[in-house]
Amino acid sequence: MRLFLLFFLVGIFLLLLQTTLLHLLPIGPVVPDLILVLCVYLGLYHPSVGGALGSFLLGYSIDIVSSPILGLNAFAMSLVFLSVYFSSRAIWIQNPIVTSLVVLLAALVKGTAVVLISAVFLSVEGFWIGAARYIIMEALVAAVLAPLVFALLRRGQNYIEKFHAVAQ
Amino acid sequence: MFAFLHRNQVPLSSFCCLLLSIYILAAAARGQIKNEPLSTFLMWIMRPLQIASQGTANWIKGFQENYDTLAGFKSENERLRKRVQTLEVERQKLLEAEATNRRLNQLLDFRRHLPATPVLASIIANSANSWFQSCLLDKGSADGIRKGMAAVTPLGVVGQVVSVTARTAKVLLLTDPNSGIDVLVQRTRSRGIVSGSLENGTVLKYVKRSEDVQEGDRLITSGLDGVFPKGMMVGTVIKVSKQHLGLFQFIEVLPAVQSARVEEVMVVAGEGDASKN
Repeated sequence: MRLFLLFFLVGIFLLLLQTTLLHLLPIGPVVPDLILVLCVYLGLYHPSVGGALGSFLLGYSIDIVSSPILGLNAFAMSLVFLSVYFSSRAIWIQNPIVTSLVVLLAALVKGTAVVLISAVFLSVEGFWIGAARYIIMEALVAAVLAPLVFALLRRGQNYIEKFHAVAQ
Repeated sequence: MFAFLHRNQVPLSSFCCLLLSIYILAAAARGQIKNEPLSTFLMWIMRPLQIASQGTANWIKGFQENYDTLAGFKSENERLRKRVQTLEVERQKLLEAEATNRRLNQLLDFRRHLPATPVLASIIANSANSWFQSCLLDKGSADGIRKGMAAVTPLGVVGQVVSVTARTAKVLLLTDPNSGIDVLVQRTRSRGIVSGSLENGTVLKYVKRSEDVQEGDRLITSGLDGVFPKGMMVGTVIKVSKQHLGLFQFIEVLPAVQSARVEEVMVVAGEGDASKN
């Protein structure tokens, strides 16, 4: 329950950052996708039904706030969680480079899913033409920020668990 | 059977989430989803936070711009620099108040020229990802905003309302690849559709090769889509090219309104919509 509350608050905070303050960063049109990093974290360290639902809800929250159609990011984030869940059986994440690499690949999965779903449900003409550049830029930015976000999440989780242990 | 479900509960629940997403997508694409409770709940939480956060972002943006001015004083001594900084913060507050006053006056003047009674709204959040260009307003259905209304400023068109909750409204910006605005070239009255694109910024589509369109031509709303009032500035043509093949010209457009710099908008019903009221 405490962890659920932690991830709920972190999700709200990251969504808030993504829709306001992160737009001030001088990195062109790309907004760092910190919620994607959180979904990857859930896939790696919380491979549970709660993690899957959490990823879905995080994507759905983005849809509510800023997608042209509901369900688009919910699908992409659920797919990211599933991909990370399957790949986490084969990899052992202990250093920031591997973390970045996993987030980079997850961002590529998410970008591709967004483009494909947009092509099917939004019928945007020529949407895929400029998409490759956006997918790569977004993936690189997310990969660079991933170790920091992971470290903060791990610290928050450790704190909550320690607090819980002491309370018991 | 139960053991199988228990062993694969994570992939199965993920798969269910994927199916649910596709169901929501299909329902949303058919326009069957209206004001579901989760949106209202999330917006209820997010709205005050976003107003505060966007206020901070606007303050930082303003401060950054003013900091460029401050950089010229680097060579002066520390005492004067601190004094200037203090004065600059105060000046920033006054300038901000003056700029807000000027903007609101312009909006009030502009309001008189609109066909229906507009709603003045502030932008409290921008798009959460790089793919789609949208923003969130601090007014919603409780203030009279409905889906399909136009968001405009005295400088021109900003976008269209695509969803509303009681206290917020989501606007799809002109620069989004999903947007499409019926426009006229002011000089020649040629028609086309202005839309965003990931590849080339904002473009004017479906203008025949034979039509006379030149760089510098101004584009205005035709009013035929029933969303935007007729004659509003949309943008200026900055590049025209005719490829070897194809029926249409390739035209790049500089939007009249730089959405990143907009803080308040007027939300107004289009001519078609206004006549219904």
